[in-house]
Amino acid sequence: MISVKLDNVSLAYRLYEKLTLSAPDRRLGALGGTIGRSGGMQVVQALEDVSFELKAGDRLGLVGPNGAGKTTLLKVLYGIYQPSSGTVSIEGKVDALFNINIGFRPEATGRRNIVLRGLISGWTEAEIEQKMPEIITFSELGDFIDVPFKTYSQGMAARLAFSAATALDPEILLMDEWIGAGDAAFQEKAKRRMDELAEKAGIIVLASHNENLLESVCTKRMTLKNGRVESFITRPTKKVGARAKS
Amino acid sequence: MISALNGALDDISKAMRLHRVWIALAHEDIGDQHRRTTLGPLWLLVNYLAFIGTFIFVFKTSDTDSAGYTAYASIGLVVWFYLMEMISLSVPLFSREGSFIQGTRLPLFVYVMRLTVQCIIRAAYSVAGCIVILLFSGLGISTEWLLSIPGMLLIVLATPAMVTVFAFLGAFFPDAQFIVGNIMRVGTFLTPVFWVYHGQSGIQNYAYHWNPFTYFLEVVRAPIASGEFPMHAFVLTAYISLAFWVIALLLLGRYRKRVVFLI
Ligand SMILES: Nc1ncnc2c1ncn2[C@@H]1O[C@H](COP(=O)(O)OP(=O)(O)OP(=O)(O)O)[C@@H](O)[C@H]1O
Ligand SMILES: [Mg+2]
Repeated sequence: MISVKLDNVSLAYRLYEKLTLSAPDRRLGALGGTIGRSGGMQVVQALEDVSFELKAGDRLGLVGPNGAGKTTLLKVLYGIYQPSSGTVSIEGKVDALFNINIGFRPEATGRRNIVLRGLISGWTEAEIEQKMPEIITFSELGDFIDVPFKTYSQGMAARLAFSAATALDPEILLMDEWIGAGDAAFQEKAKRRMDELAEKAGIIVLASHNENLLESVCTKRMTLKNGRVESFITRPTKKVGARAKS
Repeated sequence: MISALNGALDDISKAMRLHRVWIALAHEDIGDQHRRTTLGPLWLLVNYLAFIGTFIFVFKTSDTDSAGYTAYASIGLVVWFYLMEMISLSVPLFSREGSFIQGTRLPLFVYVMRLTVQCIIRAAYSVAGCIVILLFSGLGISTEWLLSIPGMLLIVLATPAMVTVFAFLGAFFPDAQFIVGNIMRVGTFLTPVFWVYHGQSGIQNYAYHWNPFTYFLEVVRAPIASGEFPMHAFVLTAYISLAFWVIALLLLGRYRKRVVFLI
């Protein structure tokens, strides 16, 4: 059974370098995070007492101002960060898309990067060979697939990453403000693929500032502010369901 | 303590299952370093030959003008290059791998093995150069040479542990990079790579006996340069390696989840 459950998860970053905080009150106003102190060390409480539960087929949109803790939460879900307290229990195969350059080698070609990414996700060489044509077709990169990754535009990189990450049928897909870089046509394609994924009873968590994207992809919406859950809304699913079927 | 060990072994066994990843990445690394060069990784061989050639032909004295010394210095340099490169690349390992550590869930030991493989591949080029020099040095091939294989294996076995220890050192104390860099540069002269110890007193005595690198060099070098198995050096190298493994497992077990916050 695919599920995600968080119980009172908190995470604090400790800042080892000295920051200049000459006028903290003015500088922190609009942002979602705050810098505190604990025993002489500066601490950013990026997540505080976050609890929620997702079941198969859920598509959660994460929203909140810059610094609210969205990326941090996704990294906790992915298992990169261990929370300072609280428990995370996840059932299912997770894949994630963070920022474009993470996990890609700039010098290697797009094709080679797919191979590396596949190996990292635990595929065998044969499986990678088998998925390769589909990934390349979906990304629509054409001949650019054999050009070093560093020469790609942001949108091209996003296409490659999205195609590779969704090709291995993840059961839980985490995305951080991602497909924003792709053009309209690709975003449409990506949305369809996410619909398929959700129909196969997968879970999607998408952090974004793009209301249209959230509107069309997500069935639930969680607002973070200062690392705390401000609201958790379940929307009627009619719209998404209709789109998926058409 | 027990839980730390379990955590470390878990990390290591996961990394071992992902062996394709670190082998592929290590090859990428070697390729990257020499991309767009004509000679490619053969530069590693040229680099070694140039260095050892300078020592053998330019700093020629009556003392060093023999096949034995040629073997002594050329093997010493292979091992020393290996250790120096491995240690200086280990210290900034985790920050160099930052993008992968912050973006994937690969066990940390994957990066350790990646560097280990990379160092071994690089060393293979200087070993090739060294064998050529030995063949031309007029020393004469003998079966005693095989006695240096246990020593080489020991060093290779110790490598992942040393990489781990120095990588954690670099992650927790960024200054270590410069300190270790300096120590290794000075070490080239304080370690009997080029000079021979004949029971001199003073600094050379200490630099020989109290320098762990001496034993790493001797286990490989003595069988070829003097035709005997260096039992004393072998046992000491084994103890040093064991100590590195114990520290490495503890660090990996206790602090592997903290590294991502430090880089
Ligand atoms: N590696 C880090 N070290 C220290 N503090 C960090 C680190 N990463 C994030 N933070 C802090 O944690 C808080 C939450 O950051 P996070 O990246 O999760 O925000 P976000 O919601 O993704 O913002 P954005 O909308 O800008 O992407 C911020 O205050 C940020 O300064
Ligand atoms: Mg973010």
